[in-house]
Amino acid sequence: MNDKPTMKKTMKAILYLIPALLIIGTFSFYPIIKSFFMSFYTDYDYFKDLVFARGLDNYTFIFQDPEFWKSIQNTMIFVIGVVPLSIIISLVIATFLNQKIKFRGLFRTIYFIPFVTSVVAVSIVWRWIFHSQYGVLNYALGFLGISPIKWLSDPDWAMPSLIILAIWKGLGYNIIIFLSGLQNIDKQYYLAARIDGAGAWERFKNITVPLLSSTTFFISIVSIINSFKVFDEVFALFGGQPGPAGSAETIVYYIYNKFYGEWNFGVASAAAYVLLFIIFIFTLIQLYVGKKKVNY
Amino acid sequence: MKKIVHVLFVCLLAISLAACSNATKPSSPEKQKTADIPTKIDKPVTIEFWHAMTGNLEKTLQTMTQKFNDSQSNITVKLVNQGTYDDLNKKLMAAAKSHTSPVMAQAYEDWMQDYINNDLITDLTPYIQNKTVGWSDSELNDIVQVFRDENSWNNKFYGVPFNKSTEVLYYNTDMFNENNLKAPTTWAELGNAAQTLTKGNVIGMGFENAIGLNFPTWVQQAGGQFVDVDNKKVTFDSEEGKKALTFLNDMVNDKKIARLAGEDNYMSDPFSRGDVAMYIGSSAGISFVEAGAKGKINWATAPLPAGEKASTQFQGTNLVTFNSADDQQKLAAWEFMKFLASKDQTIYWAQNTGYVPVRESALKDPVWLKYIEENPKYAAAEKQFDAGYFFPHLDGAFAMKSAYSTEIQAVLVGKKSVDQGLQDAAKNTQDALDKANK
Repeated sequence: MNDKPTMKKTMKAILYLIPALLIIGTFSFYPIIKSFFMSFYTDYDYFKDLVFARGLDNYTFIFQDPEFWKSIQNTMIFVIGVVPLSIIISLVIATFLNQKIKFRGLFRTIYFIPFVTSVVAVSIVWRWIFHSQYGVLNYALGFLGISPIKWLSDPDWAMPSLIILAIWKGLGYNIIIFLSGLQNIDKQYYLAARIDGAGAWERFKNITVPLLSSTTFFISIVSIINSFKVFDEVFALFGGQPGPAGSAETIVYYIYNKFYGEWNFGVASAAAYVLLFIIFIFTLIQLYVGKKKVNY
Repeated sequence: MKKIVHVLFVCLLAISLAACSNATKPSSPEKQKTADIPTKIDKPVTIEFWHAMTGNLEKTLQTMTQKFNDSQSNITVKLVNQGTYDDLNKKLMAAAKSHTSPVMAQAYEDWMQDYINNDLITDLTPYIQNKTVGWSDSELNDIVQVFRDENSWNNKFYGVPFNKSTEVLYYNTDMFNENNLKAPTTWAELGNAAQTLTKGNVIGMGFENAIGLNFPTWVQQAGGQFVDVDNKKVTFDSEEGKKALTFLNDMVNDKKIARLAGEDNYMSDPFSRGDVAMYIGSSAGISFVEAGAKGKINWATAPLPAGEKASTQFQGTNLVTFNSADDQQKLAAWEFMKFLASKDQTIYWAQNTGYVPVRESALKDPVWLKYIEENPKYAAAEKQFDAGYFFPHLDGAFAMKSAYSTEIQAVLVGKKSVDQGLQDAAKNTQDALDKANK
């Protein structure tokens, strides 16, 4: 298989790659490059593709816009709230599902359903769950003596509600990936550990966690990138608004609003590039940490 | 790692250098002479009309379009449903960008503002004034004034009013009778009624989440001015503005006799459940309340209570034609617009949808008079034409609206004091206005 690369083989490879490259090029690379240019347009006719002046005004504008900083802050809260909790919960559930329990297949399906259901449908159900008067969540909390919480109409609770929804929605995907990671761990290690007298927690801590680190690493990168891009959940959970009094506005919502609402195409592109830069930095940090900590 | 950063940096540098050729701005915008328009369609023309009407509204529109198509030998109108208004807005923008705009579409005024700024929609004045296919002066002036005004920019007409609604007061007649109350007509009566009706689980008054958007109504009712259009100055941070916001804030936060729709999205749900005794909302919601309230509560509608004076915003879309269409298509579109805005059709539309007729003559027509006598719920909206206003045509209107709407909401959900909220709202709104008019 390890033939030397020749012209002919390279051409053959390119031929195979062309369909994918065409699609990625048209729908990913072209927009990325185009919006990079657009982020510098300060005076332009978007529809006729005419640009009269370029500059850094769009970047200065967003960095001075308190709404933009608010949306960055909300997005950070979202990422910090969702990613670690989601990883821990899905790891625990995956570990249980990996044991020999009854109805294992059924449970796996149940946990995966949220991931494949449309966000809009999911949000309709959660809006009912979160309803302060008629919702099942406040009803359940009532038994614990907790007075009703206005999950969706109190600005202080808007982000927590969003985070709960996002964790629940992301579980299925993470669990499936973790399960496949768990199946790749050689049973021998566990048997050896048992002989040495290690308890369940010891085995989990010293075998499962380290040997699963490459899976965890993958999930953390994907989750962080996806969490930075959160939009659908906000849009659907709060009925097209960014939460009560703008309390759950995220970066992508900000971009969406500038683009489709205000027709500020330059500002929207600049904000998109700031988001790209933030994600890029986070991914670099993760790759750096990953190199040190992950066992392959 | 270093390599990746390096490569990326070089890439960015390369593309940024590659893209530095500036176009030159045309010194004077080319105004084509539009006085000459064709007045006859001699070949078959098909035009697409993009709309966002669903359910019964769509069925009614289909019936009317069918009637129009049957009456024409050369024009065929094809209806294309584009989903929600939000979807329609996005698709129209994308279509304009890819030069595939439809001939006709529904559009709100703030969309039209953007379309006009980008030279996307057609000035209809030559069609209206044309002797053969246009409207006579009396026909034009028969269109309700507020609708004529909102469709004109610098004395040019860019749209024809179509599905128009306004805010009305919905009230639960069972609860009102129990408490010997009549529909409130002033702020004081509104406050008293809300106080009396708030008992147990029932809250007296309800406001839509869009209360922030409709804040101009309350400022004007208090006798104030919202924005000085000529000088481009936001003027609602005033005594009257404060009075308006204090009135709302007292009801919602201090006395707790009013609530926002909040998690319910629209007030029609809690109102038809009987959780709220009255609310202010769009007259276009009548059919939704009717469906929800059936068998649960009895209700009626009334014009908005007035403060120092009466004021109510008119909402809903207009019909526009895109510049990309050819002359024959534009003429066909104009014929269809004329049809939809004709007396008989606007009555038919209003009867079947709950929107208001757009012609004065329609309001006096025996067919319509008989209809509202039998369906008094539909009468509240049209009684308010004299108090009607529309949000002024300003560049940056969308950004202004979201600026003050967010701050007013922040006050009403208890996050900001009245003074702070009003001040921030005025400042952010002014900033949005300044930015767009730089």
